[in-house]
Amino acid sequence: MPSTNHSNGLNGNGNSTLIETRKLCKSYFNDELETPVLFDIDLTINKNEFIAIMGPSGSGKSTLMHILGFLDHHTGGEYLFHGKHAQEMDEDTLAKVRATRVSFVFQAFNLLPRASVLQNVMLPLIYHPTIPASERLERTKKAIEAVDLTDHSDYLSNQLSGGQKQRVAIARALVTEPEVIFADEPTGNLDSTSGIQVMQALQELHSNGHTIILVTHEQATADHADRIIELFDGRITKDTNKFKTRKAKRENSLKK
Amino acid sequence: MLIKDTFSAAFEGLHRSRLRSMLTTLGIVIGVGSVVLMVSVGASFERYILDQVESFSGDTFEIHAKGIQDVGKDVLSITFGDLEAIRDLTTVQNVAPAIFLTDRISYGREEIAPFIFGTTKEIFINWSLKIDQGRLLTDGDDKGAKSVTVLGSQAAEDLFPNENPLGKKITVGSRKFTVVGVIEAMGSPLAEQMDSIVYVPFSVAKAIQGRSTYIDYIALQSKGGDNELTRRDIVALLRQRHNIDNPEDDGDKDDFYARSFEQAMDIINTVTMSITLFLGLIAGISLLVGGVGIMNIMLVSVTERTKEIGLRKAVGARRMDILLQFLLEAIVLTLLGGIIGVIGALGFGLLLTAIANKLLGGITYAITLSSILLPLITAIVVGLIFGIYPARKAAKLSPIEAMGYE
Repeated sequence: MPSTNHSNGLNGNGNSTLIETRKLCKSYFNDELETPVLFDIDLTINKNEFIAIMGPSGSGKSTLMHILGFLDHHTGGEYLFHGKHAQEMDEDTLAKVRATRVSFVFQAFNLLPRASVLQNVMLPLIYHPTIPASERLERTKKAIEAVDLTDHSDYLSNQLSGGQKQRVAIARALVTEPEVIFADEPTGNLDSTSGIQVMQALQELHSNGHTIILVTHEQATADHADRIIELFDGRITKDTNKFKTRKAKRENSLKK
Repeated sequence: MLIKDTFSAAFEGLHRSRLRSMLTTLGIVIGVGSVVLMVSVGASFERYILDQVESFSGDTFEIHAKGIQDVGKDVLSITFGDLEAIRDLTTVQNVAPAIFLTDRISYGREEIAPFIFGTTKEIFINWSLKIDQGRLLTDGDDKGAKSVTVLGSQAAEDLFPNENPLGKKITVGSRKFTVVGVIEAMGSPLAEQMDSIVYVPFSVAKAIQGRSTYIDYIALQSKGGDNELTRRDIVALLRQRHNIDNPEDDGDKDDFYARSFEQAMDIINTVTMSITLFLGLIAGISLLVGGVGIMNIMLVSVTERTKEIGLRKAVGARRMDILLQFLLEAIVLTLLGGIIGVIGALGFGLLLTAIANKLLGGITYAITLSSILLPLITAIVVGLIFGIYPARKAAKLSPIEAMGYE
């Protein structure tokens, strides 16, 4: 059994297990024709990790992230979240996990069209089972402030630039203060300046104690992460934890 | 998710896609409106026709000759003997014989060519005619062969556009008649001809036409309320007197007609019923077309929002939250569209009947509650089913499928 030590979770360097997969598989079925995408993924992710999943297109990296983020179902093996089996969760439990524990930043932003920044960021709160309605506005404003869009609160989503849209999406992802934020190619549709802003925002969330898991095929984006998992043809080919390396470097520079 | 949130999500959803909401509503307005309009115009027309015939007593019978008519020659088959024999029947009452005159009538410079009935006072009972001014014909007029006349309302108006006709002498052919009464107008276009009839005493018409054998027409009423019994009685008597062997009761073999107003009304009823059926059929088709239209627009507009459903699920919406939101949206759209459709159709129907009333007269707007509720409920049910069905389907997908990945 994986360790589920909560008290040791939020301070970064702890090793309390958040996510664990055992021989996780995913296949798509089309008219009984099976197309396997993920094979035997064994993975352990601890709280407050900053992970980049890399790989060429078709390697299954997005699918893996969707499964970890409860947006899709796996078809083989086991997926444990806080030690609980995902396949044993019913629809309402899944909805609750999506509302409270995880959130997503999509490559295509996926904002509500013709809705204001405020409405978009507030959206997850109306489905949140415990945050009272009276706190919604305050939390929403705080989240918008965190991505520097307070001046644009009343803008409609289609009046924003790509970078601004992605920051709205990030604000929406952090408004419920979830444990894990998943980001699917968050800089994929952005110019480099906006991309850097978005990555800085994610970095900040990480330093505030959130677990960040992002998918990218750009090395520069992946370099922000502490741990890089590389996928090829549905299998993990490389899993590098840079945390120790970086820590060592920092200590070295302090000595000098 | 709170109910309040469901409401605001639904209304925001409708507001964000104003054009689509408006088009959906319009589709429902047309679907519901056309059915309500169809049915109400049909019902108004039907009532108009029924109003026309309602004033006649169904117990009244008309008997007249029937046969191949030579040009310019009256077909005559009912005799004075027939009349007396009919009077002796126990199943009849208020027997009123008539001989027609075809003379022109003039007063001053006004001249008309009306239908002139030489008849007795019973005709007014049989035809449910009421006096407007003066008096009706009496037995004394007939016995005394007095040159008096009672005018139908239209005939009186044509001859006396600016004068009171009572006591005036009018010229019928070459004789002078004193106007003693004017009949109350029937008021409906179908009875316009009856309003133009001029009545004179039977004995006078008989003398003018020089009749001693045949009469033109008999009106009477059944006694005892059994019209069929009266009809059999009359028909059997006349067949015997006219030497017609007709045990099959085949009307084509007779040389006379003997028909009650009830039978005539049955024919009219058959006509109005087929009109009603026809309009009902059209309404049914409109309902079907409207329903299919509502179905399509709801299917499309909800299916179009599968992505939004996926997103809402991704941020934590339960299936129930999604379903309630779309249920509410569908209720708002169908109710709004349905109510606007009904109001619009009622307004348009009122306008149409007002125009028809100007042209024909005697038309009032008729609508039944069921012809409002049926299309309204159909629209709502269809709208709800096809608003929720795709939403339910989308809510069952995993968020990622609904958002259109893969």
